[in-house]
Amino acid sequence: MNLMLAPVPAGPSLADFGKDPLWISIIKAVFIFVFLLLSVMFGVWMERKLISRMQNRYGPNRAGKFGLLQSVADAVKMGLKEDLLPRTVDKVLYTVAPIILVVPAFMAFSIIPFGPMVSMFGVETPLQLTDLPVAVLFVLAMASIGVYGIVLMGWSSRSPYAVLGGLRSSAQVVSYEIAMGLSFVGVFLFAGTLSTSEIVAAQADGGTWEIAGLSIPLPSWYVVLLIPSFLIYAITMLGETNRVPFDLPEGEGELVGGYQTEYSSSLKFALIQMGEYVNVFTVSAVSITLFFGGWRAPWPISMWDGANVGWWPMLWFFIKLVLVFSCFIWVRASLPRIRYDQLMAFGWKVLIPLNLAWIMLVATVRAFRVEDANRGVIFTLAAIVLIGCFGIWFRFDTVLQRRRENRAAEVEAEFEQLRDEPEAGGFPVPPLDLPHYHGADRKEVPSGSN
Amino acid sequence: MELYVPILVLAVLAAGFAVFSVAIAPITGPRRWNRAKLDAYECGIEPTPQPVGGGRFPLKYMITAMLFIVFDIEIIFLYPWAVAFDQLGVFGLVEMVLFIVTVLVAYAYVWRRKGLDWD
Amino acid sequence: MNGIQPPTIEYGQLMPLLLVFGAAIVGVLIEAFAPRYLRKAIHVPLTMLTLLGAFGLVIVQVLRDGVPTAAVAMGAIAVDGPSLFIWGVILVLSVVSVLLINDDDNFVASAAAVPGSPDEEEAIARGGAHTEVYPLALFAIGGMMLFAASNDLLIMFVGLEVMSLPLYLLCGLARRRRLLSQESSVKYFLLGAFSSAFFLYGMAMIYGYAGTVDLGGINDALGRVGGQDTLLYLGTALLGVGLFFKIGAAPFQAWKPDVYQGAPTPITALMASGTLVAAFGAVLRVFWVALGNLDWDWRPVMWGIAILTMIVGAILAITQTDIKRMLAYSSIAHAGFLLTGVIATGEATQNANSLSALLFYLLAYGITTVGAFAVVTMVRDAGGEAGHLSRWAGLGKRSPALAGIFAFFLLAFAGIPLTSGFFGKYAVFAAAVAGGALPLVVVGVVSSAIAAFFYVRVIVLMFFSEPAADGPTIAVPSAGTAAVVALAAAATVVLGVYPQPVFDLADAAASSLFVR
Repeated sequence: MNLMLAPVPAGPSLADFGKDPLWISIIKAVFIFVFLLLSVMFGVWMERKLISRMQNRYGPNRAGKFGLLQSVADAVKMGLKEDLLPRTVDKVLYTVAPIILVVPAFMAFSIIPFGPMVSMFGVETPLQLTDLPVAVLFVLAMASIGVYGIVLMGWSSRSPYAVLGGLRSSAQVVSYEIAMGLSFVGVFLFAGTLSTSEIVAAQADGGTWEIAGLSIPLPSWYVVLLIPSFLIYAITMLGETNRVPFDLPEGEGELVGGYQTEYSSSLKFALIQMGEYVNVFTVSAVSITLFFGGWRAPWPISMWDGANVGWWPMLWFFIKLVLVFSCFIWVRASLPRIRYDQLMAFGWKVLIPLNLAWIMLVATVRAFRVEDANRGVIFTLAAIVLIGCFGIWFRFDTVLQRRRENRAAEVEAEFEQLRDEPEAGGFPVPPLDLPHYHGADRKEVPSGSN
Repeated sequence: MELYVPILVLAVLAAGFAVFSVAIAPITGPRRWNRAKLDAYECGIEPTPQPVGGGRFPLKYMITAMLFIVFDIEIIFLYPWAVAFDQLGVFGLVEMVLFIVTVLVAYAYVWRRKGLDWD
Repeated sequence: MNGIQPPTIEYGQLMPLLLVFGAAIVGVLIEAFAPRYLRKAIHVPLTMLTLLGAFGLVIVQVLRDGVPTAAVAMGAIAVDGPSLFIWGVILVLSVVSVLLINDDDNFVASAAAVPGSPDEEEAIARGGAHTEVYPLALFAIGGMMLFAASNDLLIMFVGLEVMSLPLYLLCGLARRRRLLSQESSVKYFLLGAFSSAFFLYGMAMIYGYAGTVDLGGINDALGRVGGQDTLLYLGTALLGVGLFFKIGAAPFQAWKPDVYQGAPTPITALMASGTLVAAFGAVLRVFWVALGNLDWDWRPVMWGIAILTMIVGAILAITQTDIKRMLAYSSIAHAGFLLTGVIATGEATQNANSLSALLFYLLAYGITTVGAFAVVTMVRDAGGEAGHLSRWAGLGKRSPALAGIFAFFLLAFAGIPLTSGFFGKYAVFAAAVAGGALPLVVVGVVSSAIAAFFYVRVIVLMFFSEPAADGPTIAVPSAGTAAVVALAAAATVVLGVYPQPVFDLADAAASSLFVR
């Protein structure tokens, strides 16, 4: 019995790009643009609806069937609101900042592959606006430019909440961008390219494992091969887009609205919200491209010959996108917001070292597969690194141990002191172990000592 | 260069849309003047005067930015290395281990000097 | 796929460099993990052993392999005769400077504390100390070695930055007169950043002209590329600005007095000796190797700069009232003397002559400078070092030995016979005369005479003035400082009386010129 899949059709590669006539490019660009606009509207509705159901509410259900037109109504409402320009703001930056936030968010989507080669009005063209030899780097670059929008929004508002929100947000985004960038390295090690279409192509076929006359297909999606990379990416996705549980910049409890405090609910505010949603879709699409096989059909469907050709893959892509986005909502419904110091500590002290260690592990394993590799060198190197890590761990472990012991001894001393002279705690209290409280043979524990 | 033309098309579309939204916002909305509305929002209290040019902000953010640059450069080294790893082989592995260890030494220093802590 | 080949790297020849950088990194680790009270005890032997070890490696390399004839690391670094000699000089000067640095009275307890604040007092009471000085110094020394040995402009820029950045920081760490120190640090940083930018921009221009940043490649392009002369001249000028800033040639000398005065004196010693040596190594490489065939074009400008530097250094030094500022201007004047040697190019033998003279001069001047600054650290007031010249009056009557040694160093700066300075100047001027730069030598001799005036003035002040009643105390030198002074004095005497072995060594190092 062979579990072999249908023969994998070759996807488009970098060589297939840059050949479109301009009108095809315009059609594709308009499609992506409209798709993102509609996705934002649909996304807002879906988020509200889904989270309501998770919280035993109905959510929007008045405008249109299932409240589907709610987003349209909201958009129109925002258009009709007064556009305030507070007196103190830096007028130019205040106006330009939302544009700086939104435009790169849209541009990042241009290298997301939606599908394989199709025939569009008689032109053979890949279902992807364009591809670059440095496509993934381009996504990161666009994300970085988006940070400018956030910083400038906070900076130009000239109000304490906005400035703090802007600073917090930018610090958070850049911190998580490092972990995000590092989590891609594993993918590049396997795929050997930065081009998104070729990364999707590299996930087409994981090869087979021949054992006892049986050929078992190996998993081809990088989410399986590189689970740690994916998990880290999934966390940074949330941090990068300022979503729960990392939505500190808009922590309404302390900062009102963060960097967007001074933007009245006019179309500028709508633009900011749109930028944030588009960013969510971008990181989701990148996760699908890099880890979930892109537009390729998942296993049971991929046994059908026509699954990965023509226009069908766009459907698989959309389904994956909706699923990933649903996970964002699921997380939002489940997790509380974390504290800012925890957020930064997690990003810098956990994600980055883990990521680097994982990259080195993957690289070492891959170095073994290179022919005529000098394994002695690899072993020596790995041993040195491991011993170093172990040494540092040992050093810190003894320190922590000593600290724990000291702390325990302190608590013990305090406990003893309070037992002997309860008034040492600062309050004139009767000794708690007087026999008449609970009976003579009952062991008393003074409160507040542990 | 042809690879970048479609990105330009999309950028023009997105920029047009964004500029249009920003430009049209004052026109479609009503205008009802009210002094309080034009003040910076601080939950109803008198807004704190903000110094011209933005004033000072905590040094922590600057340190974070510097660390970000260090690690971003590390990432920029890691990408081409990862792409060409199969050709570089053991040499690439050794050099990258040396490089990462060097960066990690600085990282350990920053960590121990509480550069990564927020209070 | 594209064929990316792993490069070859000659680890053996780069060993001194790698050792210094490796020790610097280990130093950072010590800072991170060693408990505070142990740090200095680990740093001092580590730093000294590293520098001595690197020096030993340089010698071993010369004895075993002779002078290599090809650039290493894919043509990025040139470990040739001049490089090895300059490495040796830098390492010797560094060892001596690090001996001075060991005196922990010179560095601030907590650099982040605002001067005069309770934080600062608390840090002093706690006995805090910035042991980061050692790894920073090692990085700077490694940068100097790389700067002088780089064979392409990119590596040279990396070396420049690795050398400069730690020095900017070190300048701000003086224990006393902290505001002055911080001011010097900021000045040095801002001006240094400017000059680095000039260097980088010039590099871009040259790359635009030649299509390569390799020094030898640029030289080849000089004969090949036509019609792009604007790019070439602009690039040469900008590169020159960056380099002249580092050696402190006029009109880019403005930073030198302020920085030398504000920085902790051991760091000043390191800068005045090591940086100058490294920067001259780089100047020679850029102007002799990369732009060697362009000498008709850069020589007139270099003439002007050399003359201006000598005169500005000598004349402005007369007006100084602070001993460190005076030494700074003297260093500017010496940079001018050295530039006359850079100009004296010609045939290969002439080049070798000039180069050998320059190498000798750099060694002689560097070691004397470190000695002079070591003496400066020992003459103290209540508020730290007694900087003002009037405080030095009558020093010869209180402490004849110290004043005598200092006077000897000053005579060496002036180039009086029987000191190392005489042979250095003689060699460079002789080479310059042979290279046809006679007018320059005349200017050099005249400004030497002017310079001798203020050196002698200090000597007169020390020996023939009445000591002030509340005059400075002479600190009992620590073993390190005493060793530095003794070593510098001995070297100045030996090089002044019997310089032949070192001349031979410099000749041997210079005979093969720079690899291309």
